[in-house]
Amino acid sequence: MMVAIFATLFLALLAAWMGRQKIAVACLVLCLALSAGLFLFEIYSPEYGFRMPWIQTRLDGAPPSLARRS
Amino acid sequence: MNGSPRALAGLNYLYMLLMMLTIAAIMTAAMVMQYFGGEVPCPLCLLQRVALFGVCFGIILTFRLGDANLNSGLSLLFSIFLLVISVRQALLDIYPRPGHEYIGSAVFGIHMPVWCVLIALALLIAFAVKLTVLDGASARAIPLSDFPALARAARAAGTYVIILCAINLVSVVVQCGFDACHTSGYRLLQAMH
Repeated sequence: MMVAIFATLFLALLAAWMGRQKIAVACLVLCLALSAGLFLFEIYSPEYGFRMPWIQTRLDGAPPSLARRS
Repeated sequence: MNGSPRALAGLNYLYMLLMMLTIAAIMTAAMVMQYFGGEVPCPLCLLQRVALFGVCFGIILTFRLGDANLNSGLSLLFSIFLLVISVRQALLDIYPRPGHEYIGSAVFGIHMPVWCVLIALALLIAFAVKLTVLDGASARAIPLSDFPALARAARAAGTYVIILCAINLVSVVVQCGFDACHTSGYRLLQAMH
C-alpha cells in the first residue's frame, strides 16, 4: 500500500513538473485517497477502535471547589 | 494589497520558493537521520512525508503553470492532512506504554510527530499570509518566466524535491516491499541475508 502511495505521488510530481495538470491532479487525488485509507487502517485498533482511552477526558469525581459549593 | 502587479508576482514566487526550500530542507534532515542515524521511519512518519510532498506539489504546479486557486487549495489540503496525521500520532504516543512511545531521537527535545504539528501549523499560517497579502488577480497573470533568476532557482528546487521523492519511493520498496511497513528494519535487505 505504501509503495502504491509513493508511486502515485512520484507520478503526480513528475506530471506536474512536465506541465500535465490533469494527469498530475488525478494521480495526487488517488495518492490522497490511498493515504487517507492507510492512515485509518494504521490508527484503528481491534481493541479500542478509533478511541484513545489512555487520554482521560472525563473527571473521575467533582473537583474539590465544586464539591464544596454543593 | 496595493503595489505593482509585477513586484507582487515576484514576491509571491519568491515566497513560494522559500516555502518549498524549507520543506526540502526538512525532508533532507529526515532522510539524513534515516540513512545515517539508522532510524527506520514508521508508517505514520512516511505518511507525514507524503503530506509534505503534497504541499510541494501545489507549489510546483504554480511554478510550472502559474498561480491558481487549485494549487493553493491542494497545498492547503495536504497541510491539513499533515496536521491530522501528526496530531493523531502525537496523541497515540503521548502516554508511553508498551508498543506506543515516541520513536526516533528528539530534535531540540521535540520528537518528529510534534515537530510535524508545528510544521503543519506554520504551513497553514504561511498559506494564509500568501492568500491575504500576496494574492492579486493582476499579479497572477505574470508567469514565473518573467523572473529568470527565480525561474532557475525554482527549476532546481523542483528537481531536487522530485529526486527526494524518487529516493523515498525506492526506500519504501526496500523497507516495506509490497506489504505493510514496519520499523524493525528494511524488509528486502533482511530477505537477502
